[in-house]
Formats: sequence, C-alpha cells, structure tokens
Amino acid sequence: MKRRMLLFGTLLVIAGLLLSSCAPAATPAPTAAPATEAAPTATPAPAQEEPTATPAQPAAQVTDEWGVAIIPAGKTIKIGLAGPLTGDYANFGIDISRGAELALEEHPEIKGFKVEFVTQDTQGSPEQGAAVANKFASDPQMVGIVGHIFSGETEASIPIYEKAGIVMVSPSATNPTLTELGSKVFNRVAFTDKMQGEFAAKYIYEKLGVRKVVTMHDGGAYGQGLANVMAEAFKALGGEVLGTQAITPGETDYSAPLAAVAALGPELIYFGGYDTDAAVLVSQMEPAGLKGVIFFGCDGTYGENYLKLAGKAAEGTYSTYVPIPESEAFEKFRARYKERYGDEQGKLSPFSPHGHDAMAIILAALEKVAVVQADGSLAIPRKALADAVRATKDFPGLTGTITCSEVGECAAASIQFMVVKDGKWVVAE
Amino acid sequence: MNVAAESSKWRTARVKERKVSLGLLLRLGIGLLVLAFFAYRFYGVLARQAYGAETWARLAISGLIIGSVYAVIALGYTLVYGILFMINFAHGEVMMIGAFAGYFVLEAFAASGFSARQPVLAILITFLAGMTVSMLVGISLERIAYRPLRGAPRLVPLISAIGASIFLQNAAQLMFGSMRRTYSNPPALERNVGWVLDVAGKPVSITYTGVLTFAFSVVLMIGLYLLVQRTRLGRAMRAVAENKEAAALMGVDVDRVIANTFAISGVLAGAAGVMWGLHNGIIYHYVGFIPGLKAFTAAVLGGIGNIPGAMLGGIVLGIAESLAPAVLDIPFQLKDVLAFAVLVLVLIFRPTGILGEVLAEEKV
Repeated sequence: MKRRMLLFGTLLVIAGLLLSSCAPAATPAPTAAPATEAAPTATPAPAQEEPTATPAQPAAQVTDEWGVAIIPAGKTIKIGLAGPLTGDYANFGIDISRGAELALEEHPEIKGFKVEFVTQDTQGSPEQGAAVANKFASDPQMVGIVGHIFSGETEASIPIYEKAGIVMVSPSATNPTLTELGSKVFNRVAFTDKMQGEFAAKYIYEKLGVRKVVTMHDGGAYGQGLANVMAEAFKALGGEVLGTQAITPGETDYSAPLAAVAALGPELIYFGGYDTDAAVLVSQMEPAGLKGVIFFGCDGTYGENYLKLAGKAAEGTYSTYVPIPESEAFEKFRARYKERYGDEQGKLSPFSPHGHDAMAIILAALEKVAVVQADGSLAIPRKALADAVRATKDFPGLTGTITCSEVGECAAASIQFMVVKDGKWVVAE
Repeated sequence: MNVAAESSKWRTARVKERKVSLGLLLRLGIGLLVLAFFAYRFYGVLARQAYGAETWARLAISGLIIGSVYAVIALGYTLVYGILFMINFAHGEVMMIGAFAGYFVLEAFAASGFSARQPVLAILITFLAGMTVSMLVGISLERIAYRPLRGAPRLVPLISAIGASIFLQNAAQLMFGSMRRTYSNPPALERNVGWVLDVAGKPVSITYTGVLTFAFSVVLMIGLYLLVQRTRLGRAMRAVAENKEAAALMGVDVDRVIANTFAISGVLAGAAGVMWGLHNGIIYHYVGFIPGLKAFTAAVLGGIGNIPGAMLGGIVLGIAESLAPAVLDIPFQLKDVLAFAVLVLVLIFRPTGILGEVLAEEKV
C-alpha cells in the first residue's frame, strides 16, 4: 500500500515535470523521500497502478507478502500497547506499560530510527479493544503491539491485526484458545490458563487434600475459561465439582450468590476473575455461611490491590503467581522501576516483567528484519517481522529464557501458588 | 345530535370495551403462564431439596438489607416525581457523592483514632457529612439542571437529568480517581461480624452493619412519612403535588417547596450512600448507577409518587433479587433480569404499581 502510494507520488511528480517541459530530458529523477511527504496519505492509489519503466529508482527494494512498513527518515517506528489504563482494572495496564517502557529505554533505537511507544486505553473491554485495534491498524508506522492485556479484548483484536499484518506479543492474555485460532501474528509471553487451571487442580487435590469444590467466575473470557479448565482437570483427578456460580463483575454485594454456594457445602471455592471482585467475595464469605472454606484465586487475583481491598478477610486465601527468577537483570529492572515510577515493582500487578519481555522480543525481531534503504528510509517487512518474533529462541528475558512454539506460546516461566500470611503474599508450601 | 352520530358513538364504545377485555385476557394469560413457569421451577428446587432452611434465611436477610437501601433511594425518586412529575435520573449519583463524603470523613477519623474511641459519635458525624453533602448536591442539581427547564416539555428535564448523572459520575472519577476504595469502619462496627442465629442447626449470621442499615432505613422512612403528613412543609409539599397554581395562589412559595423536596431527597440519598459504604465496604465512582436504576424500578413497582409504595417496592425488589435466582435455580448473574421480570409481572396486573392510585389525566 505504502509502496504503491510512493510510486504514485513519484509518478505524479514526474508527470508534473514532464508537463512543465522546460527541463532537459536528462533531469535526474527526484528522490522518493520528498515525494512521499507530498503524497497525501488519504488518497488511495489506483489498484491498477503497476510499476512501469519510469526513470524513478524503485522506492523499496524490500518486498514482503503482507506489505512493508516504510518509515521515512526523521519519523519514528511505532509500537503500540492496548489495555485497561483507566477503570477498575487500570492497575494491570499501567503496570505492563511501565515494564514495556523500561524495555524500550534499554533499546530506544532501531538502526538509527527512534521507536515511539503509543498507549491506548481499552478499559479491558472487548468492544473498546476492537476499536483501539482498528485505530492502530490504520497507522502506517505501527509495526508491533504489546498486547492486548485481557483475553477478551485480545480475542476481539487478533483478526484486525491479522488483516493489517501487525505482530502482537501479549504479556498477559492467558485464555488457552487464543493460540488455537491459527493466527500468524499472535504470540504471548504469559503462561496459559490451561496450564494454570490444571496445575491448580492438581495442587488443590494433592497438596490441600480437598475433594469437593465449587467454581465461581465473573462470566468473562478469562475467568470462565479458567474455572472450566480447573473443573475439568479436578474431575479428571477424581475430585468432585459440586456446582458453578457466575457473578456479575463490578458489584459490591455478593452475599446472595455466596449463600447459594454455601448450600452446596464445598471445602474450597475456586474463583476465576479479577482482584476487585475477589476482594468483595472473600470479605463476604463468612457471614454467608462459608466459614473455614478455602478461597482459591488465580493470577488475576494476585497483587497488592487485593490485599488492600480485602483487608483481614484475605488471610489464608490463595492465588497463583508467575515467579520471576532472580537475576542481575531483574535486580536492575526493579531498581529502575522504583526510581522511575516511585512504586515498588509488583505492587500494581505481577505482569511488568512480562510487559518488558514482550517489548524486548519485538525490538529484537525488528533489529533482525529492518532494512535501511538507499533513500534513507527504513523498510520493515511485516511478515518477516512476525516470523522473526515467532522464531524467537533462547532469548534472555526477565521472565526466563524465552523460546516461542510454532503457535506462539512463548512463556518461559512456571507457576507458583501464593497464600496470604499476616497480610502478605508468601509462597504456599 | 343526530341519530347516526349517536349510533356511531355507541359503536366505538362497544369496540373499546371489547378491546379492553381482550387486552386484559392477554395480560392475564401471559401473567399466569409466567407464574406457572416460576411455580414449576420452584417445585423442582424444593423437590431436590437443593437449599436448606439456613440458605433461605441467609438469602432473605441479604435481600431485606439491600431492599431497605433500595427503599431509601426510591423515596427520593418518588418524592421528586410526586411534586414535579419528573424522574431525577441523577439521584443514584447523588447517593454516590454522599458515599464518598462519608468515606473521607471516616478515613480521617480512623487515621486519628477517633473512630476507635468514640464509634457512635464517629458514625453519626459520618452520616451527617454524607447527608449534608448529598443535600447540597441535590439542591444545586435542581437549581442548575432542572429549574431553568421548569416550563419545558416533560422530556427535556429527563434528558437534563441523564446528562447530570453522567456529569457527576465523570466528575467523581476525575476528583477521586477510578480506583475502588474501602470504607474503614470503626472496630465496633466491623463489617461481616455480627450475631449468629441458629437455623436448622446451621449458623446464620446477622451482621451489625446490616442491622444498622435496616434499622436506620426504617427510621428514615417513618421520619419522612411524619414529615410529609404532620408538618407545615409536608402540607405545602402535598399542596404543590396536588396543584401548583392553586398552591401558589394560596400563598405557598412553590420554588422553595421544590428546593426543599430536592434537599430532602438528597439527605435520603446521602444516608443510603453511607449505609452502602458501611455495609458493603467498597465504593467507586460508578457505585450509584445500578442501585439508582434499581431504586427507580422499586419506586415504579410500588407506585411512583407514593411514599409507602416506594418503601414496599424497595423491599420487594431486594427480596426478589436475592431469592429469585435460587427459587428458579438459575445463575445469580441473571438476578437483574429477574428483578425486572418481577416489575413487568406486577405492572401487567397493576399498571400503576402495587400501591399506586390511578393518576389523574393532567399528571399522565
């Protein structure tokens, strides 16, 4: 598209020159760069405009099945992030964007071109996610996306990026089905809910010795998917799933659904959803008749926010967490995070290292495929970039050594179960 | 009067009569079908013995508490409707602002240790703060968003009210941020702690905050009823509701009465907001919207413009919300659908609501 426009622009300029016909025939063709700037981006080039034998030098030597992003000299390469930056789940989006920002600081330029990091708020909703994806896809300088952050919005946005040929690396969309869609552009550095649900079922059955559970979820892609995986795995192990109860997210009174759950007589409630709702649930369990019943959350319920909202009621509740292996790089990352943002790393969400790695993988792949052209512009072949991300092997990330599978599962980490002891998250035995 | 006209008039009357009876039959048919379906589902639940007595008790308690909050908010809708015949859609947001005012006062008390030393006084001052702030918001709303539109067609103030609702939500989001905040109750009024009853050998807990919420709601309702029935202001309000022009001719200051009505409805909303915070604990800028909508439903259910009706509607809706999913054995995520289904059912049989009287022509 860009290339066609460039050609069209050059042709126009040449045509203009020929028409003026005051110049001798041996005029060197104008360079393409000013022509590009002259070509209005909004005018679509006629489709039948084929490269003809014009004296103009070919604008782009790089070709690619999905098209090539041409970044003119002096312009920036754009990498986008889409996720909840305001609203109930803003802590996830803000935290991840900080991680990505720090990764960009380590590697601010690709072959002399500045990389610009563009963040857009989706509030975590699929509708907003699709809207933001369309916005990003229409930007010719946009080459890669750190995101999206939630599974539902990611699901809605994959087809849009697929069409535009923009590579994605999600730091936190964990719904198992996302990599089963056969997408060429979608990758993630988060471990999937399938792994998480199965691990959790095993832990609950074997380590906690629980045999009767009730699953609860918020009806979202992430929560419901996770609760279902866990229930299946738990049944397969020989445990009993007494029932499941969906709640409306964002409410502040769940005493009625909890009373209905209490009637089933579970030993443990497994919840798939996010921290704000989990905090309401745990603080209302006891009066609803669930005293002594274990509350087992997920990676969406891990973090400081949950502890703050749930207060004393959080004591003895579980969640899952992706531990970040201790390393010198991680040590430095934590120090920079604190210095830059004033918060402790890990306070808002557990995902800032994943945000960092998602960005770092895209930057490393860009470094591999971007080509500086004769006219001083930078050509980024889109499919080659997506393939380079997918081919990531033994990449030293904060979350571990990252290798992507052929469907785009790049998670390096294993998971760990956490429990609240004296108002702090500690590793569960 | 010629004969032809006479006969045609008589004919239209006949047709009208038949239409009414058909409509009534249809309504009855639909209503009975739905009721039969409810009964069938309920029988299934009972036959399976899915829930013991203690669960029903817990659900009923939860419903009563939330219902009493709905009732207090619904009073505000009904009061304003009774006098101005407009729905103040920003009423839920007035409650939210009250909840925030109470939150900040209580935070300060908790930090200084005052709420541990003087819990009763601290709670009282918190309520006063929430009610005062909400009252001021109610008065300003009327002054800014409704009074300039007093003579306009009925839809205009409604649009203005929806605009005010969105404005207040966003203003709160900008002022207080979009994070959720937790009420720091005094130790004596800890959330989720309370008396434990024994129902069918199982413990059923009645929380202190729940009892406070219910009791204070009842006090507010009785207070309002007395105010409307026994005071000069109440008499003026009733006069304005009956007929604005006549009341003005009799020397009632209509503007002042309307401003007072908004002040009273604001006080009630503020009290509801603080109760919400104390009992449920978590508040944020969107916390008033759904309860506001539910309370409006409750007001319609009880008969809009009718004060005992609003109380009854609130309690009925709260109970329906808590019990219906269990009765019909469907996920609690659908409780809102059921609440509105109850509304539709009631309106099928009584279009004016449970206690609503048939409105006079000029009010409709």
